[in-house]
Amino acid sequence: MVFQAVRTRFPLRIVAGMTEWGVLQLPLASLFFNKKGAHVKIGSIVFAGLILAVGLVYEIMALNMPRGRLSYPGPGLFPVIIGVFIIATALGCLIQEILPRKKTGESPPTSPVPTQDSAAPGGRNVRKTFQLMALMIGYTLALKPVGFLICILAFLVIAIRIFGYRRWFPALAMAAVIAGISYVSFVLWLKVPLPLGILEEVLG
Amino acid sequence: MDLFSGLIHGFSVALTPMNLLFGFSGAVIGTIIGILPGLGPLGTMALLLSLTYGFDPTAGMILFAGIYFGAMYGGSTTSILLNIPGEAASVVTCIEGYQMARRGRAGAALAVAAVGSFVAGTISLIGLSFLAPTLAMAALKFGPAEYLAVALVGLIIMSRLTGGNLLKSLMMIALGLALGTVGMETVAGYMRYTFKQPLLAQGIDFLPVAMGLFGISEVLVTAEEPAGNMQLQKVRFWELWPTLVEWKRSFGPIIRGSFIGFFVGLVPGPSPVISTMVSYSVESRLDKRGEFGKGAIEGVAGPEAANNASVGAAYVPLMALGIPFTPAMAVVMAVLLIHGINPGPLLMTEKPDLFWGVIASMYIGNFMLLVFNLPLVGVFANIIRTPLYLLMPIVLLLCLIGVYSVNNSILDIWLMTGFGLLGYLLRRLKYDLAPLVLALVLGPMMERSFREAMMISRGDLSVFLSRPISGTILLVGAIVLAAPLLIAWIKPLIRRKV
Repeated sequence: MVFQAVRTRFPLRIVAGMTEWGVLQLPLASLFFNKKGAHVKIGSIVFAGLILAVGLVYEIMALNMPRGRLSYPGPGLFPVIIGVFIIATALGCLIQEILPRKKTGESPPTSPVPTQDSAAPGGRNVRKTFQLMALMIGYTLALKPVGFLICILAFLVIAIRIFGYRRWFPALAMAAVIAGISYVSFVLWLKVPLPLGILEEVLG
Repeated sequence: MDLFSGLIHGFSVALTPMNLLFGFSGAVIGTIIGILPGLGPLGTMALLLSLTYGFDPTAGMILFAGIYFGAMYGGSTTSILLNIPGEAASVVTCIEGYQMARRGRAGAALAVAAVGSFVAGTISLIGLSFLAPTLAMAALKFGPAEYLAVALVGLIIMSRLTGGNLLKSLMMIALGLALGTVGMETVAGYMRYTFKQPLLAQGIDFLPVAMGLFGISEVLVTAEEPAGNMQLQKVRFWELWPTLVEWKRSFGPIIRGSFIGFFVGLVPGPSPVISTMVSYSVESRLDKRGEFGKGAIEGVAGPEAANNASVGAAYVPLMALGIPFTPAMAVVMAVLLIHGINPGPLLMTEKPDLFWGVIASMYIGNFMLLVFNLPLVGVFANIIRTPLYLLMPIVLLLCLIGVYSVNNSILDIWLMTGFGLLGYLLRRLKYDLAPLVLALVLGPMMERSFREAMMISRGDLSVFLSRPISGTILLVGAIVLAAPLLIAWIKPLIRRKV
């Protein structure tokens, strides 16, 4: 009843953002009972398969470790047990996703209130996730050779734009202020030894 | 040290200017992140974990307690005024709170939520003050078998209560336990799953995992969501006082919510969220006016009391047994671990400053929250207008600098990025992150307990069942795990007979 009440009153995206505990995932899952559900299902199958492969590799490596005896367990015994646990649960998930679910005869529940997700199925902007991941990877690669200050300035300008602010000059100004504050507080005040890279001679 | 002298000692620690400052800062930060949708108390604590390296552990614990309590207060503000829950535990408050606001009773709803939170917080702290030392004394009799049983059953109950798919939750537990085995094994110094990388010898640090799973993935999920428009209701200070009838109607729900929250908080799992739902269900069943769904004050008072009470209760297993039952408590435990302090039954006697200081600071923080939250409700509510394009890059920046600052290691940034992506995928695929994180934290302790129990019993596996405490705990776990299957099996049989 509470779930129903929650679902009817909020745009889905708001409730979906609150699911770090997974408590609301059960009712939300039913809202994905459409074309999107297929994506989730394929993703779940691939992911469970991936974990199964990881579990198998993990188990093979565990079996090559000294296991000792039950009265004096070696370093490999606990990993062997965990490896079996991973394989069993991943297999279970895989079978669960592949096997067709029992039909209950009920129609898939729909939200009585038009939600942003249901109103606009393509509402999510997955491209931003890829852009942010690429940005983080770029930052990590460039941090040592280029240095913190230049890296974080570039990172902030691009991140601000990814999050929807389009004007270059104000974005640069905001990034410069935040980068400056973070340099003063982390490098100068808290003495975090962040790499200065090509600015080492100027700032170091 | 008995309870009262312990508390007096605790207040002498908590009332030092520095600790008061940490408590106040935590309360303010907590309120702000409670208001802002997207970033929850868990993500914030993970984000700030690296900063606590430079603090005294007591100060770090006080800061985090303030954040956790503050988030529960802050979450109600935007739930009531904007129908936007700042964090998961405030979702239920929206139902009646926003309806009250539409009827012009936003001030009353906010006041009842704040007072209810304060009363519940205080009740749960009294419970914590009594229960934690008692449980800690009892836990001195625990051996490795009991510790393994508590941790194992805690994980099982959590996987049951998160409401998602059981198999998926169990798979997350398995993954978390596996991650906990990476690094040099402590007894024989054997390298496990390090792939000849010396940096992995110390194992996978909790910090990059927590920051990635809860901080980075939160930002990635938020980035995808389309921005919405919001209209903020203005609340004047003189409108905050509820009527006498509203106070009378709120009294019962606040007391009931406090006890519901406290007892739900003792159970492993997402206690703040579950407690609000249980409290709302109870209040709606007791409703005789038929006002639920139209702005019943009981639907605000009960859940808001419940989520605050559950926070105090969540500290009981951590402070008494050294076992966190929620990911938020795992992050709190990390504050102690990074300072070389192992929480457990001996914490109270070995570190009385910390044990009692933290408990006393919660009383003070709870009072602070009541005092500054009500008059500043308008100011706090305006925080939600902070544009995402400014907020999210700053969160990322804090993650990137924070994770590097601990070991000055680029590997930690790679780990955080990787776990951020994993967390994002898991959220999108409807996996729960909490069992993974808890299993990662509890894994090394479970392995140690298992090996010790095996050595003590000379390889007799029945030791886990033959010892009364561990046997009972494991029996409870087995019942919890098997209950739905049994119910599904029995139900058709009963129907056939009928």
